[in-house]
Amino acid sequence: MSHFTQPLEYVGRPAQRVDALDKVMGRAKYIADYRVPGMLHARCLRSTLPHARIARLDTTPALRVPGVRAVITSDDFVDHGLYGFPVKDKYMLAYQKVRYVGEAIATVAADTPQAALAGAQAILCELEPLPALFDATRALDPDAPQVGPDRKNGNREHPNLKSDHMLVCKGNAEAELADCPIVLDRRYFTDWQEHAYIEPEGVLAIPTPEGGVVVYAPNQSPFINQNNLAMVLGLPINLVRVIQPTVGGSFGGKDDIIYESSAQAAKLALVTGRPVRMVFSREESLVASYKRDAMHMHIRLGADRDGTLRACWFRGILDSGAYASETPFTAWRASIHAMGAYRYNACDVDVYCVYTNNGYAGAFRGFGNPEVCFAVEQTVDELADMLGMDPIDLRLKNCLRLGDETAHGQKLDESMGLVECINTVRRLSDWDRKRAEYSRQTSTEKRRGIGVAIMYHGMSLGAEGADYAGATISVLPDYSVDLTSGLTDYGTGSRTVFTLIAAEELGVRPDRIRIQRPDTNTAIESGPTVASRTTVLGGNAMRAAARNLRQTLDLAAADLLRCDPQQLIRVGESYVGPDEEAVAWEKIVDHAREMGLILSAHGKWEAPKIVWDHHHGRGTPYMAYVYGAQVAEVEVDLRTGNTQVLHLWAVHDIGKVIFPQGAYGQLYGGITQGLGYALTEQITYRDGYIQETNFESYLIPTSVDVPEITAQFVESSYSYGPYGAKNIAEPSLVPTAPAIANAIAHATGRRVRELPMNLERVLLGHDLQPPASRDAAIRGVWMETRSMPQTPAPAAPRIYA
Amino acid sequence: MSAFDYVRAGSIEEAVALLGDPQWVSQPLAGGTDVMVQARHGPVHFQRLVDVSRIPEMKVIARHGDEIYIGAAVTYTEIMESRLLQETATCLVEAARLVGGPAIANAGTLGGNVGNAAACADGTPPLVCLDAVAHVRNLAGQHAVPVAELITGPHQTALQRGDLITHFTFPVAPAGARSVFLKLGRRNAQAISRLSVAAAGALGGNGRITFARLAPGSALSRLRRFTEVETMLIGEEPHQALFEAAGAQASHVMELATGRRWSTEYKEIALHGLVARALRAIFLNPEN
Ligand SMILES: Cc1cc2nc3c(=O)[nH]c(=O)nc-3n(C[C@H](O)[C@H](O)[C@H](O)COP(=O)(O)OP(=O)(O)OC[C@H]3O[C@@H](n4cnc5c(N)ncnc54)[C@H](O)[C@@H]3O)c2cc1C
Repeated sequence: MSHFTQPLEYVGRPAQRVDALDKVMGRAKYIADYRVPGMLHARCLRSTLPHARIARLDTTPALRVPGVRAVITSDDFVDHGLYGFPVKDKYMLAYQKVRYVGEAIATVAADTPQAALAGAQAILCELEPLPALFDATRALDPDAPQVGPDRKNGNREHPNLKSDHMLVCKGNAEAELADCPIVLDRRYFTDWQEHAYIEPEGVLAIPTPEGGVVVYAPNQSPFINQNNLAMVLGLPINLVRVIQPTVGGSFGGKDDIIYESSAQAAKLALVTGRPVRMVFSREESLVASYKRDAMHMHIRLGADRDGTLRACWFRGILDSGAYASETPFTAWRASIHAMGAYRYNACDVDVYCVYTNNGYAGAFRGFGNPEVCFAVEQTVDELADMLGMDPIDLRLKNCLRLGDETAHGQKLDESMGLVECINTVRRLSDWDRKRAEYSRQTSTEKRRGIGVAIMYHGMSLGAEGADYAGATISVLPDYSVDLTSGLTDYGTGSRTVFTLIAAEELGVRPDRIRIQRPDTNTAIESGPTVASRTTVLGGNAMRAAARNLRQTLDLAAADLLRCDPQQLIRVGESYVGPDEEAVAWEKIVDHAREMGLILSAHGKWEAPKIVWDHHHGRGTPYMAYVYGAQVAEVEVDLRTGNTQVLHLWAVHDIGKVIFPQGAYGQLYGGITQGLGYALTEQITYRDGYIQETNFESYLIPTSVDVPEITAQFVESSYSYGPYGAKNIAEPSLVPTAPAIANAIAHATGRRVRELPMNLERVLLGHDLQPPASRDAAIRGVWMETRSMPQTPAPAAPRIYA
Repeated sequence: MSAFDYVRAGSIEEAVALLGDPQWVSQPLAGGTDVMVQARHGPVHFQRLVDVSRIPEMKVIARHGDEIYIGAAVTYTEIMESRLLQETATCLVEAARLVGGPAIANAGTLGGNVGNAAACADGTPPLVCLDAVAHVRNLAGQHAVPVAELITGPHQTALQRGDLITHFTFPVAPAGARSVFLKLGRRNAQAISRLSVAAAGALGGNGRITFARLAPGSALSRLRRFTEVETMLIGEEPHQALFEAAGAQASHVMELATGRRWSTEYKEIALHGLVARALRAIFLNPEN
């Protein structure tokens, strides 16, 4: 491609995030900052039982509470508000049954948050307890309590089976294992993880004179929200507009829970004719929202004595709680990555998810891969220990390389930088010296260890669904350039990526460009903003849009400068024709307008087609992969189990880096989230009641827990990516926990096979649990929403996108 | 959030008068880092908070002869920055450094830590280790109570309605004495102590231990010095085996007092290790 030969002016160069100043100056407005005249406050009545039949639900007492304006239940939605993708199993408000502690049953709108809470408390709701299911490994027992919906049309599957069995099959793994001189058989468990976005859930719905509704929601995918809203409210799609304001973090967590809150607020807005805002407290957020699934894994690895991997057999059960949300997709991604980035003669993977009454799980950064990577990367490490091989040597011997075929049958014929990642991280971390040195320690107080984990991660949705994106670009009267994308930026930096791409293609300075907040009325539907797909899908769409506009401007320039478009060159923003006179970009724009040309364009990009055979577990699951290797150095206190991560080295192949600070930011952030996942972040459902409902008990890393991070990128260009780019957001955290686990094992000589590797697990090898309590969860259900100090209303109430 | 009234006191006399006013159920407010959390969680038992955080006499850190004086409204940051305390109460300074994070250290006070009396508090084990006495004022007058007696259990104190802790005092430790504070949390800041150890000690001219103090935190339901361990150290030569035996003894004392709880399997090993490590740091001063 010609672009690789021309030096890039903006892409790949240091840049300032387009939203940086607004955020650090406190100008960025989040839902909790929004205030419109006449605004009501909404609050949910939530279940305090893990599984129950709703025997009686009488909302009239709530309406007698002063200040209460309206109450809604599932009866107020079309088809009781049934929604969900890929499985339609959840209601916008519980219908007939509740299946987890914290499930919303009714929503009240009132003049103040206090009145709304009092209204919710006044609702007469009788819950008749049903037998509940908490152990995912028993979910499919014939006598297990039924949590999932009834099967229809003669389907005889167990109702608690939430997804298909997700398979990857190559050869005969059982036979291959039987023939292997060395077979490791291990079980692993990864626990629930909370997204811990700093901004809790919130939504503001404003009724429109036409009978529709405008919803401001920090959702990941506004178009999905819009579709759901139209469906459950019974409105034509064009009467529902969803705008995404600044989002205070999401990490996969602002899909379903926001769609639900949006539907509740929107319905209340339509019923009352007034704007309705709902904002969660942290406690309500932790109780009500979905988490990363907990996963029970069983892996068998077979190898030859020289360390050649031959077979992988893997079974995984996702405890994904009371509703499906996106977990069937999580299970699929987990299955694809379960065997790790290695070559095998045979492979047999089977992963599925089940219903339980433990909260519910949904999308979370990494989407199944952090779970399985924790298992396979430790097992590979144990194999190295058993064989007396260096763990990196063993990985280099077996890892996927250019030209290899994956266990699924996909030929890797380009953009494959895994070996370079491994070699680089080995060198940067001084691996060989430290590995040898730390193997000789004798202290009984504290010991150091160094461990590695590698990973691959399929790009974008893969075989999960149609994969496309759209973008628009236009020149405004003041010569600024306006962009929209159907893919959103909830903190990932994609708005800056799009800005740099548009600047590059158009040949204008980034400060001329402004990118709109996502708005279903102005942007082009682009599928969900998930799966680290935004840079590649949205970036290609933006590039196409900008090229379309550039073509128009080039025509105008050629006309003005009386030459062929090919004769034009650019000096800065200016156009230069054969007479070597530089003409300002604004002049070209003026001329284009005089010619009657339209200075707006759109672009669309569709990912290359891929095929996956679900029945046989073979095919091309993803268009391509990103790769990475991380090394963790730890110091373990042998007397307390306290683990300090001293340093982390991360080298990732993400293709061409478009926005360097953004890419490093993603990597550092992902590693930090992986660190919490590894050591301290623990969500415990005890008899269905969550125990951790704020950040004093749910422990995300603080600044003094985060180690020095040395990060580097390998840019192995991907021909379908914009400028050769791939992606980074999710993969950054995938190898962190297993790298730390392997370092702990190196330091202590003992394996921790469960996450998080807390003090007890590291010291004793198993977890200890305090007596179960319902208090935190129930307090969370009823926690008062923070009332913002009443600031004087601005002269003209302004809501901007 | 519960509704309540607020008033700021300018002096100890004023605070005592406000706290003793029978018209109101009042409670002292210092940094508010415990009180405000409680108020957010549910109904409170007071009608009015009397802010004592800016009373000048309660912000003093001083030495009076062989006694150290710390005002009850002194914050952790002030403790950390005090040259006097760095020299005479290392364990308290180290504890202050490990409390919460900078925001909590700037607001939280020693008086509040004692008044709140959490089992996992970090300020109280050093006070008990140093044999500190709390000086309490009310409308009836003034009295002094050892901190170890004032704190009667988790979130329980002998303080009565109307009482105000004005300051703490403790004797300056013998010459050559050192003290340490070790904290074990689940992360490096903003962490509730799973266990902590405040310890102090000194060696005599003969190289034997002449002074030993040990006060583990988060170990017992009622904070106290582990005199059972202290006595086995006195008169001994400092060495590794002794400290290990002391660690084992400390775990034993803990288990006798609390019985086997869900956490005992972990805590008995960890307390053993922390006590041995604290003693080593005091008497042998090794690298770690
Ligand atoms: C995020 C966070 C992290 C924390 N981390 C730690 C930690 O690491 N270690 C730790 O020990 N604590 C920690 N705490 C708890 C708290 O900060 C400490 O207990 C602190 O010392 C309380 O002091 P305060 O001045 O804020 O007390 P306040 O909240 O003002 O008062 C606490 C109690 O003491 C009473 N009181 C206050 N002053 C007096 C007085 N002079 N006389 C009589 N009674 C009085 C009050 O009436 C109240 O009952 C943390 C708290 C938070 C919110």
